[in-house]
Formats: sequence, C-alpha cells, structure tokens
Amino acid sequence: MTKAEEKPALFPKLPDVCVRCATCMAACPVSRVTPRFPGPKQAGPGAQRFRSASEASVDDWIELCTGCHLCDMVCPAGVPISEMNMMAKAKYLDERGRTFRDWLLVRSDLFGELAARFSKIVNPLMKNGLLRWLLDALLKIDRRRALPGYEYPTFRRWFQTRPAVPGITGRRKVAYFYGCFTNTNETDVGKAAVELLEAHGLDVIVPPQRCCGIPRLGVGDLKGAREMGRRNIALLRPTVRQGIDIVFSSTSCGLMLRHEYSRILNLSGAEELAGRLFDICEFLLRLHEEEKSTATFLPISLKAAYFAPCHLRSLNIGLPALELLRLIPGLDVGMLEADCCGLGGLYGFKNEKFAIAEEIGKDLTEAAARMKPDIILTDCEGCRMQIRHLTGLKVLHPLQLLRDALNRT
Amino acid sequence: MDLKTEVLIIGGGATGAGIARDLALRGIPSLLVEKGDFTSGASGRNQGLLHSGARYAVTDPEAARECISENRILRRIAPHCIEPTEGLFVSLPEDGPEYRSDFIRACGKAGIDALPLSPREALALEPRLNSRIIGAVQVPDGAVDPFMLVVENARDAESRGTRFLIHTEVTGLIRDGLRIAGARVRDRITGEAYAIAATWVINATGAWANLILGMVGLKIGLALSKGSMLITNTRLSERVLNRCRPPSSGDIIVPNDTVSILGTTSLRAEDLEHYTVTPEEVTFLVDELSRMIPDVKGERFTRAYAGVRPLLQLGEACDDRAISRGFALIDHGSCDGIEGLVTITGGKLMTYRLMAERTVDFLCERMGLHVPCLTHVQRLPGAGLGNALKDRLLHLRRQTPAARGEILCDCELVPREAVDAILREGKVRELQDILHRTRLAKGTCQGGFCVYRLLGLLNELRKAEGSGGSNVVLRGFLEERWKGIRPVLWGTSLKEEELIESIYKGLFNLAPEEPGRPGGGEA
Repeated sequence: MTKAEEKPALFPKLPDVCVRCATCMAACPVSRVTPRFPGPKQAGPGAQRFRSASEASVDDWIELCTGCHLCDMVCPAGVPISEMNMMAKAKYLDERGRTFRDWLLVRSDLFGELAARFSKIVNPLMKNGLLRWLLDALLKIDRRRALPGYEYPTFRRWFQTRPAVPGITGRRKVAYFYGCFTNTNETDVGKAAVELLEAHGLDVIVPPQRCCGIPRLGVGDLKGAREMGRRNIALLRPTVRQGIDIVFSSTSCGLMLRHEYSRILNLSGAEELAGRLFDICEFLLRLHEEEKSTATFLPISLKAAYFAPCHLRSLNIGLPALELLRLIPGLDVGMLEADCCGLGGLYGFKNEKFAIAEEIGKDLTEAAARMKPDIILTDCEGCRMQIRHLTGLKVLHPLQLLRDALNRT
Repeated sequence: MDLKTEVLIIGGGATGAGIARDLALRGIPSLLVEKGDFTSGASGRNQGLLHSGARYAVTDPEAARECISENRILRRIAPHCIEPTEGLFVSLPEDGPEYRSDFIRACGKAGIDALPLSPREALALEPRLNSRIIGAVQVPDGAVDPFMLVVENARDAESRGTRFLIHTEVTGLIRDGLRIAGARVRDRITGEAYAIAATWVINATGAWANLILGMVGLKIGLALSKGSMLITNTRLSERVLNRCRPPSSGDIIVPNDTVSILGTTSLRAEDLEHYTVTPEEVTFLVDELSRMIPDVKGERFTRAYAGVRPLLQLGEACDDRAISRGFALIDHGSCDGIEGLVTITGGKLMTYRLMAERTVDFLCERMGLHVPCLTHVQRLPGAGLGNALKDRLLHLRRQTPAARGEILCDCELVPREAVDAILREGKVRELQDILHRTRLAKGTCQGGFCVYRLLGLLNELRKAEGSGGSNVVLRGFLEERWKGIRPVLWGTSLKEEELIESIYKGLFNLAPEEPGRPGGGEA
C-alpha cells in the first residue's frame, strides 16, 4: 500500500470551497430531527477548520452522520461534505475504538452464508423476544427493529445449480454484482435480475465477489473497507479486462464500487472498474432506449409508489428504475416524495440511533399515507426494510415487479 | 464632569494597558483614555506572533534577548492568550547554509533554544513545507492573541481600581506653566467634553505620539511604516514558519487560532488613519510565501489588513533616554523642559510589558517610591482558562439546543452566551468593541452571515440606538469589512461575496446610494 492511498492529498483544502450558503443544512435529514448533530456545513467544512491531525478528536457527534450524501448533492459549490464527515468519523472511531457490535455487524457477510444454511433455526431465533432483549441489552441492537430473515439456497448457490438456459451461447455477456443481502436475505431480487437480463437477450455471468465493504465505511473503518475494495477489484478485474459490463442491483453496493473505491478509498484500479459498472436499471433502460432489446411487458393494474434511495440519487444517473417501470402498461406509478427513509443501513439498527431513524422516516410514512399505494418499489434493501417497518406495506425491488410483468411469449 | 487622577495614560494599546496594570499592581492610581477601542492601533494590527527573539538573533542580539525573556514571562503570566506552537526557521536553497550556521550560533548566544532539523524531520512536522528545503531550525516561537492580552491587562487593572475610558479622545493637553497638568478629552460617542487633571501624563499612543506632542509644540523623530498581512481561511501549518535569512519582507507565516497570517510588507506611510493593502502587496506576499509553502498560491484568503508601526529615529539630545534600540522612553521634562509628560513609543507587542515596567520604574523614581514591579510574576486574571480550538468544537457537542445555546458566529463557533457575558459587563460601546473581544466575524465569511444576528441582540439590549440605529451600525461594519476583503477577493471568496452581497442588498435593502457600485459596503 502506498502512502497516497492512506490519505487523499486533497483533503485538507476542502473547507476552502464552501461558500457558507447553508443549503446543505436544509437537506440534512439528521440535523432536521436531532439537535445533537450540528448539520453538514457545521460538521464538515465548518468543524474542519478546528480539527488538527495531531490532536485527538472531540467531535463525537460526527458518528450521527448517516452517510446519506444528500448534502453533497445539494451543495452548489461541490464540497464533498459527507466525505469530510467520513474522514472525521474514521479518525474519531480509530481513536476511541469501535464496539463489539460494530465489529460484528460489519461482518455480516462472513456469517451470512452460515446463517442462510441454518435459516430454519436462525430465522425464528431472530424473532425470539428473549434473544432480541439480550441483543438489545448486551449489544445495543435495537429490539424494535425487525432483523431480516435468511434464505436458502443462497442466490449464488441457486445460480450455480440451476439448469443451463437453452440458446444462451453466443449472446453478449453481462456480469452481475448481487451483493450480500441479495445473496442471503432477498434471493428473489437476484433471480429477478437474472431473468430480466436474460429476457433482454443477455448471457449472465456471476464472477466471484465479496462484500463491497460499505458497512465498514459506515463505522469509519477505512482500513477494513479498503481491504474489501482491494479484494473486489482483484476479483472483478478479469471480467473488466474482458470488456464485460458489470451491473449491480443494490444501490449502496453500487455507490461503494463505483464512487467510494476511488473517491474516498483512493484504490488503484478503482477507476477502471467504475468505467464498467452500471446500475442494473440504468443498464436495462439504455437497452430499451437504444432499441437493442425486444423485451416487452404485459399490463399490471396496480397503484405503485417509487422511492428513490439516497445512494441512488448520489450516483447521478437520474431515476432509471422509475422510467423502466413506466414501460409496464397499466401500472400507475408515482414518486414517493420523501428525502430519506432514515435507516442509514446499519445505523437504524443501533439502539442509540433508532429514534433518529424513526423520526427521519416520518416524512416518508406521511407521504405514503397520502398516496395510498398498493405497493412501494425501491432499489435499496435498507430502504425496503425501513419502509416495510414504517408503513406495513408490500415493498419490492423494481426488478421484481418488472420480472412479473415480462412478456414471456 | 471633570476627573482627577495621579497618572493619565493616553492610548489603549498593549503599552498603555500594560502601564495601567503595572501602576495598579504597584498601587498607583491611574486613568486611561483611548480614542477608539483597545488595540485599535498597531497592537491589534500585527501578526500575533509570540517572538522567540530568533528573528533578531543575528542582527540585534539585545532585542533578541529582550524577546526571549518576555516570551518566557508571557507564557507564564498569560497562558490563555498564547498558543505555544513552536516555530521553524526554514532554509530554502537560495538562503544558503551560511546564514543558517550564523543563525544557530546567534540564537545560542542570545539564550534561545534552537534545535537544528533535517529537511526530512521538518517535513514530517510540517508536510506542506516546500520539499526543496535544505534544513530548518526549531525555536520557541508561538502565537499570541493581542486582543485578549490587552483586554486582560485592562481587566486586571480595572479590578484594582484603574479607570478606562474608551472612545474618548484627547483634544488638548492642559498646561500649567512648564508643567502638563492633565488633558482635555471628548467622548466620541456622546460628544461630551471634559477635563482630566493628572500629575503625570503618559503618551503611549504609538504611531500617534507626535499628534499628542504636537498639542504642546513638541515632536520626536518617528517614521511610520505600513506592514500588510493576509489571512487564510484555514491553518497552513501548526508552527510559525520563518525564512532563515536576514529579516526582510514576506518571510513569515503565523498560525493563529483557525487561520494563518502571512506577513509582512514594509512601506513608508504618511497617513495614520487612511491606508489600504495594495494589489502589489498581495501579489508580493503570495509569491514570496509560496516559496515556503507552495500551497499558498491556491489558498483561500479571507482578509487583508495593514498596521502602521512607529519606527524611532531619535538623533540628537534625547538619545540618552532611549533605553533600548527597540523602544524609547522620553521624559519631556529633561528633554524639552516640559514637566509631567512622558512618551513611550517604538517597541513591539512582545516587549509591551517591559516597556510598561521601564515607564513605571521611571515614574516611581520621580515620585520617590520604592515599589517593585510585579507584572512578570503576577498572572493575568483569566490564566488557566481553556482556549484551544477543540474546546470551541465542544460547543457543538452538547445534547440539546438549549444547552448548546445559539451559535452566533458559525465560522468561529462563538456562542451567544459569550456575547451576552460581554454585554452584561457593560464595558462595550460599539459593535466593533464586541468584535474585538470575541472571534465573531473573524472566520470564513468575515461576519457576512453572522453580524446581522448580533444586531438583533444589540437591539434587544437597546444598545444599537446610541450608535444611530442598527442600519447605521450595519453600514459601518460592512464598510470596514469591505476594506479588508476587497484586496483578496477572488475564487471561492468572490462567489461567497456575491451571495453575501445579495443578502445585504436584497434582504436588508442596504444597496449603495449610487447604483452600480460594488459590494454594498462601499455605500
């Protein structure tokens, strides 16, 4: 590892770019609901002028940033505020040390396969009141938050063991980065992705891959995140070098692979990988726009609400899932007008942050109550969990509805 | 209203406040008048450098010894006004190793700890330094907050009975035959004029010394030198950085609180009240200091300012009273035959305490008193209070908005409670007085986003009316602010200024009377 990788050189100059307009203060979901977080302008470029690399951090509130990136998106001066927060958080937590809970939660990729194998035992356990009480008391994992159930076989196993698809040879190849959650907790999203890609005339391959590392970034573990990044870059490099595009269905994994590997982690080979990476809906939509696909959809009569995850918005690719959904005849789909679901990935599972996540989510609950949709669609698994929790409605990945609407004749 | 005192001090800079404190500690009653606020002159317009004396070690060993001695005293008596940053004297290839050797030797002779560092060691301490350096020397330089230092001196004196009248200017000296018996003064805010009778009058007005002396037909040899400085938005270094070469312009970067100060230039000045930082000076400072830290070229600056230093040119009769090459104590009784008048001028912020000590020693001698000076042992009242940057960051940490309180100045994290406390003391009379006593308006936006919040507070406390209403105050502030930011207005600062301008013109309706003139502050 080179020195340059450890510390992005540009970092100390970032506060100079801020024009103090405070637009970010109006966009921050966290400072809106709690006075404990001073807001992006103050926590980022503002506090940066007071921080010294040689002194211990005192800004414990930096932990309250969810890393949603909404501040970066509204900033007219282009200050990467959440990046600055991330670095400050990493320094703070490096000094203070992380809890066992945080150590455990960011390694869900390691025990996920095992938990999936024993899902019949694990799933009821995770609903067990006594165990949840213990997790709450000992690890501060909030018992009010439903833990996602595990599924078996995993997506990866399903893909590897399924019968060969007839007539697939000779087609254009596309690689799929499924992400941990799809692999062990929502395998249907992966199946829908494969079916849709194949229906669009592609040959899907699933290269070896690891957790993208974004959970580690969430607890400021730059070293751990960098390690995950390096492994994925190495694992995906052969695919990239063969000129095969890679699509992802989880927007947070996608943001991590496409932006954070280079922007925050400064990993070599990150740019090369990013050049081949696409959000799956972005990819499918382009096929339709370029009329390279003959796939069509059958009517579905439903009232659907689409919620754009923060990390999708920070990819700066518009709302491709919404545009794809509009290709389904008869589907009444509208935007769910809320800024952030509030979960912030693992953030909302943590006892001390549960109330913040709930409070942020209130906007979304109210918007859903106004729209009264039959179903809510969103690209991010975290958002899906939170929206189910907040609204009690059926929440799917847009891919799942698109798959259901496929004209297979 | 006529007043009477033993010693009347004219001038509320470091010297005047230092004399007031020294007198108070020796039990001699005094009264100080200042035409503006404390530190309105050179005391508030310097680099805030706590000299180690190393800068003078080669050229003026006596001044170097004075500096290091005062440096040690200030660290002891005013730790809360000082940031013990340390300093580096950095040699670039063009500075050569010879001066560096002379410098290290001279520091040794003057009793200044000088630790030679290799380029690698220096770069490890200050990674933004030019990588071409051939060496550095670490010396006990530091940063000092001159505002706080002067106000603390005054506060201590006041608690011992000294009276301070700020915004009060001397309009004439009262002569009683060959004796000065006091001064006529005028309150610049209320316009009230009165007399102050005194046995001794101390002229501690720095660069303004001849203005006071002129009132009784006297004059001393004093040249005025303007020095300009630039302030960056963030700290460039953790230590004071000096060029290791003979003293010259553009050779120092002082970290000061959240910012760094780049200095200085040296130009002859004629006018004491009206001077500006020229584009040539800005270009010179940026060019010259980018040799030490290349990043200076791309740095965001928030303000430029200048101060006028009084340079002594004592030639003839009074030479014997010049007790240091740096400053002069002139007894006009023995010099000019006018008793009861003493001028103390020249010198620098670093030696303010020594200047005060010598002045009061002289007065005691003439009064026949034998009271020793205590200012070098008695700590200032606020000593022990935390003033580190991270203490301010802690303001953001409290759990509820009520506990956190309103933050008036976002850039410098000045809480409303700090301003409330100053207003409660009842000593401040103008907006600028509040700004001098806090770090309000000293950050990125230079008060653009926070001063109007302060006006609300002033108005609540019914203070703004005395100064002609909040609009007048705001205009006055913006004019001063514009003078400071205009020389460095480019890049991000310029963008931000567009936004601030639209706030004042659009929301506050403070557009200049002549349409088309820039800045709002030019009105």
